Amino acid sequence: MTTVPRALLAIDAGSATTSVALLGKPGARWRLLGAISAPAGTPPDALAEILASRLVAADLALADHVGVTPPGVGDLPRLEATSRTPETLAVLGASRRAVGLLEAVAARTSWRVRAASPESHDPREMTELALRPDVSAVLVGAGDPPGPDERGWLDDLAGLVGAVARRRPELRVVLAGPVAARAGWAEGFGASFESAGERVSQAPALGVRSGPDEPLREILEGLLPDSTDTRHTAVRAVLSLADALDRRIELLEVGLDGGMRAMAMPGIADQGPNAVAVRTAQAALVPLEIDDAAVDAVLAWTTGSLDRHRMGDRLLDLRAQPWADASGEGARLRLAAARAALSRLVSSSTDIGAMASPDLTIIAGGAFAVAPARAVALAIADTVRRAGATQLALDHARLLGPIGMIDDPDERRELIADLADDLLAPIGSLLVVGSVPASRRGGARAGRLTLDGDRHGRHDLAGGEVSFIDLAPGDQAMATLEFRDAVRVGHRAKRVAVPVSGGVAGLAVDMRDVPLRLPERRDRRRAALAGWGELAWPGDER
Amino acid sequence: MTERTATAPPAEERTAAPHAGTALIATRTLVVSPVDAFFGLQPGDRALVKAGEAVGRGQPIVEHYRDPRTIVVAGSGSSNGTSAPGDRWAEPAGRQGREGDAAPGGELLFRSGGKWRIAGGERPEPIEAPFEGIVHEVRAGTGVTVRTTASAIVGRHVLAGPTWGRLQIVTDPDGELRAQHVDVGAAGAIIVAGARIDAEALTRARAVGVRGVIVAALGIKEQRDFLASERRGRAAVHGLPPFGILVLDGASRRPIASPLMAMFKALEGSTVAIVGSPPTLVVDDATVELPKPSPDLVRVRSGPLAGAEGRWVGLAGPRRFPAGVTLEAAFVRFGGRPPVAIPIGDLERFA
Repeated sequence: MTTVPRALLAIDAGSATTSVALLGKPGARWRLLGAISAPAGTPPDALAEILASRLVAADLALADHVGVTPPGVGDLPRLEATSRTPETLAVLGASRRAVGLLEAVAARTSWRVRAASPESHDPREMTELALRPDVSAVLVGAGDPPGPDERGWLDDLAGLVGAVARRRPELRVVLAGPVAARAGWAEGFGASFESAGERVSQAPALGVRSGPDEPLREILEGLLPDSTDTRHTAVRAVLSLADALDRRIELLEVGLDGGMRAMAMPGIADQGPNAVAVRTAQAALVPLEIDDAAVDAVLAWTTGSLDRHRMGDRLLDLRAQPWADASGEGARLRLAAARAALSRLVSSSTDIGAMASPDLTIIAGGAFAVAPARAVALAIADTVRRAGATQLALDHARLLGPIGMIDDPDERRELIADLADDLLAPIGSLLVVGSVPASRRGGARAGRLTLDGDRHGRHDLAGGEVSFIDLAPGDQAMATLEFRDAVRVGHRAKRVAVPVSGGVAGLAVDMRDVPLRLPERRDRRRAALAGWGELAWPGDER
Repeated sequence: MTERTATAPPAEERTAAPHAGTALIATRTLVVSPVDAFFGLQPGDRALVKAGEAVGRGQPIVEHYRDPRTIVVAGSGSSNGTSAPGDRWAEPAGRQGREGDAAPGGELLFRSGGKWRIAGGERPEPIEAPFEGIVHEVRAGTGVTVRTTASAIVGRHVLAGPTWGRLQIVTDPDGELRAQHVDVGAAGAIIVAGARIDAEALTRARAVGVRGVIVAALGIKEQRDFLASERRGRAAVHGLPPFGILVLDGASRRPIASPLMAMFKALEGSTVAIVGSPPTLVVDDATVELPKPSPDLVRVRSGPLAGAEGRWVGLAGPRRFPAGVTLEAAFVRFGGRPPVAIPIGDLERFA
């Protein structure tokens, strides 16, 4: 008799979806025994009970061995991560330029941002914004010394923020720059900065040029409770995975209320693994407020005939019921919205985008959970335009967040090393070829690809097109690409050999341009998208 | 092994149990009680009530400026010089108002350079309590919360409001109210307008004196048109009478769910109120008993069968659906037909 658990529950309570995975240790290592998802709000115990029932029905001996029974499954130890609903940050500056700089930094955090400056709002409107019950923090910033465009309003702004902080004792305030030194702050706040306590934080002043924004981002992220937030814990899990697999791993996650992009690198020599991450509420599957820009961003990725109003209706419904309508046309709409969200995520994380192509790209989040593998691969190829090769995999059981709840890095690494084969569903490999000469982008043969051991032989590659080559899950091969002109696949060459791995989608070879340039005319754009979409959606019944 | 199977029936038996698996279906709460209704205050607006005070229907609770603006004044802000942000501005004795000055009063925003910025304005208008209750909390510049022990039917969201009136059903649950069918006989009523309503019908409803509309779905275009019309009306000289729209489901057309329609039928003729936060229809009349939905009733909330209602049969397990998507599904029986597998995400049940 031992007290070491032989089974545990991994629960990811997302904004739209509750996922429960049952992990067991039937032998020397942990395995994924089953996973199930349901709309957010579903009791995890009910899902766990269904999982246990299925395990009992499928393999009674295994269920016995790991000690799983339907009535007792709720008593198993559990790792539980939750997706936090973004809180609202009011961003105030003394000029449109200043508030733009602050907003750009705040947008790269988990906060939902509302910005205002005296050039766009009068003091009453700015006060109203900061007093809104949904606003839980205010960021106000200025240059040091203040720029000419800030000087006229800075005292008033300091007084306004000080007064709001005085009226709302629960409000947290971040002062980026010499705001507290202004006479208006003491007048508004009614006390000195030193007496404000922990709820007023000091951050570096605005720079003239955009510089590293980590210090301010860290302060803003630090205001949020993050001990169980999936977007924080998942980074820890990816870090452990990069260490265990000795691979560079990128994580792309899109959820209902935000998205995340992280790059984890394994340790070198005595240096431990490290990661950079950008979490942003702007990469939500559907923005909270659906304006024309949000509708157009999704329409740009659709091939149907919905007008702007009907698309707005569909997005409103998707926002309200993210779990619903996940098949048929609803699945395509979801992927179009996911592409728009990924585009926002990519534009918010250009620093990560500038890094070399990772060995493995993990796709996570409810937006991709139920889509066909090729459609997911195409969505990534459409939006993350980085020349090079990467393996694609899906966090199908939503395990990364819960595993990241383990504080001890060694323990976490041990569990994730055990589960590495189970927690990722291989989609395939994505090979993006850049710098294809313009003369060869019109569908003309631009090169060829050879897979080691492939009985089908060589595959012709057409410029400006994307193609899928079957490569079964578990298969690995060396792909050799030969071109008439030098192209870019990681580096510039006429002949490139890259290792690729198989998956449900196979090997996707993208010969379109980097960045992707779609036709301006709507009909041509739709035709191009429809052509590529036919490769991705099986049995398209339209 | 024997002991365990005795306490835990096999999976096949569990799915065959009457309501097993319904926990996976999104549960829609139809009625809540008590209700803390929140009435937002903008800076400059004045709460006319205090915490703990009892309010009756129609009693002004907030004074709202229809034309708010920021005013700059020199001085301490009060006669004793101890003003703080959020206080009301006390005009110094003997100060003569000039032509074009805002109406006296306003809220102190902040002080800078020895001058106060005040949120004031012109043409104050009252916002009236749409139901009887107790003032729970008053926060200057933020809002007033009024608590009632009455029941409230929960909707998805509310546009404009608050408002109140007698409930009147004017269409079937899946009907669509057209402008030519909006009757002046509905003046003063909150009407149940079926599956969807267009902007023209909303405009006419407002024009003939309807106090509110309850509708299953309201498209984004209709929402924007209505809100633009509302802003224009509010800015006009005479303002607008109270009006609100309670949207029950979303934006795409679908009929009103039968449990909700049964409640509206039970309430027809009673006085009800629409409040925006939370988005609810408050039922003041304690004598009306709201019918409860059947526990095995499920409704398809999206997809090709959106709006259809049936009886829960059991979990169907993972199934493949159009577009090559595999989803957890459940069997639902519509009428006397054989059960159909529906993705569980497309289903809702009622509580």
